[in-house]
Amino acid sequence: MDLYLPIAEVSVNAPLLVALGALVGFISGLFGIGGGFLMTPVLVFLGIPPVVAVASEANHVAASSVSSVIAYSRKRAVDFRMGGVLATGGVIGAFLGVEVFRLLRLLGQADLVVSVSYLLFLGVIGGLMLMESLRSILRRRRGEAPAAPRDRRPMWLYGLPLKVRFPKSRLYISVIPPIVLGIFVGVLSAIMGVGGGFILVPAMVYLLRMPAGVVVGTSLFQIIITTSLTSVLQAGRNQTVDIVLATLLLVGGVVGAQFGARMSARFRAEELRALLGLLVLLVGLRMGLDLFIRPDDPFVLVSGAG
Amino acid sequence: MAVDLPPPIPAVSAALTETEVKVTSGFQGADIVIYGAVFDPAQRPSDVVVLVSGPEQPIRLAEKTRVAGVWLNSRPVVFTGAPGFYIAASTKPLNQIASFSVLRELNAGLDHLAIAAPEEQRVERRYGVRDMVVSRLGADYLDWRRAVIRLKEKAGLYAAEPDGVRFVDRGLFRAQLALPTAAPIGRYEARIILFQDGRPVSIRDRTLTVEKAGLERNLYLFAHRRPWIYGLASVAIALLAGWAASVVFRRS
Repeated sequence: MDLYLPIAEVSVNAPLLVALGALVGFISGLFGIGGGFLMTPVLVFLGIPPVVAVASEANHVAASSVSSVIAYSRKRAVDFRMGGVLATGGVIGAFLGVEVFRLLRLLGQADLVVSVSYLLFLGVIGGLMLMESLRSILRRRRGEAPAAPRDRRPMWLYGLPLKVRFPKSRLYISVIPPIVLGIFVGVLSAIMGVGGGFILVPAMVYLLRMPAGVVVGTSLFQIIITTSLTSVLQAGRNQTVDIVLATLLLVGGVVGAQFGARMSARFRAEELRALLGLLVLLVGLRMGLDLFIRPDDPFVLVSGAG
Repeated sequence: MAVDLPPPIPAVSAALTETEVKVTSGFQGADIVIYGAVFDPAQRPSDVVVLVSGPEQPIRLAEKTRVAGVWLNSRPVVFTGAPGFYIAASTKPLNQIASFSVLRELNAGLDHLAIAAPEEQRVERRYGVRDMVVSRLGADYLDWRRAVIRLKEKAGLYAAEPDGVRFVDRGLFRAQLALPTAAPIGRYEARIILFQDGRPVSIRDRTLTVEKAGLERNLYLFAHRRPWIYGLASVAIALLAGWAASVVFRRS
């Protein structure tokens, strides 16, 4: 059953999009990421204009994140205060990122920066996560005691002013690192068209050293805020949100997210991180591959007139 | 008793079976059907060319170049004059119908579209000739121009159909051209040209509009006239859907 999308101005297969939405929603609920880094490239591959894909995908991510955050908050696994601080940074970053992206598009280098960002961030983060989690899985298999938890958090976390108590995460740290992290993720999400969960999750685990139990829910909570804002901004400034496309995706997405959130309780945290790391690494390598392969056609149409 | 009749003037007449294409949610592309007749008492051999072009869309094109092992985009070049959709249909290949210069003058055919990159051009004096138009792209200019056509053809938006016009009866011809779903919305021009002996002897112009209708149109207008409310509405749908799913699943 094909459907013509009013904003994207292309015809798409509706059941296929619902199924894709469900699959990405499932992954989103399972790992506590938005799933934008998977969905945006797929939508572009299906022929949807990149600007519309990025904007409508933000809407889908918001929907599946709400669905799974409610599931996580019932398990009291969301640090709303930390999420709020991260989101504050994310909002600032999103505004900055939109301007940076506009400039890059004018220079015709948006494609390059997107490919490099995917390769660099997904590749490095995916690789590190995979290595770390495989190491701890192996250690457990061999029956060794888990590596002594390096509870000594980096000193700079404590040396900075503006300390705030985060009871849920059992942290008493400056708000500066989470805000800077939020800004960084906000800029990247505007450029790459993603929610930024794949950066937030590892950053919360390895940098802020939050307890693993609250990381996923908190990341999703901050993603809801930034993607909702991105969605409204994109619709208001660029008219690039396709409500039909977003609805198709989120119908599947919200259901998939529920199953994902349930499944996540059945896995160990390091197993989940190993899977997520592998997924992130593969997507990063695939996107980056284009930089090194001789293109089919030496010329390419560049989006964004004017 | 010889009556001096004026020499019979060959003429072409044509009509579109539909002058409006409605794009609704079930839009699967459409067929543009053009019927026409050639009036020529002398019945000289005639060829008919049908050119359908969509609204103009500026094109930004970049060339991939390899720098230190990595493929990068060059500075983009803006081409103007390129229609968003173009089909050249004819009774036989264009180059058998008329000469290069005739086709160029009529902008007939993919090779003769008036596509130019005005920002790359400068006017200068060369070889003592004043006001020469020189492109900064130099000798590569033709490669760039060909790339525009090639990429548009790949997207199904440009086509040449050398047997797209058929005579169904004496003097009566028909052309059926496919409009893909990716075809842009807007006003289309259909130009029907009668050629005899390599010369255009009669031209008819017809217009066609492609527009959104029904729900598609309402959503499109909503998105463009009330963009902020549209954005808030789409986010509200997303948040509500997320909440609804979690309520449903809690019960089950």
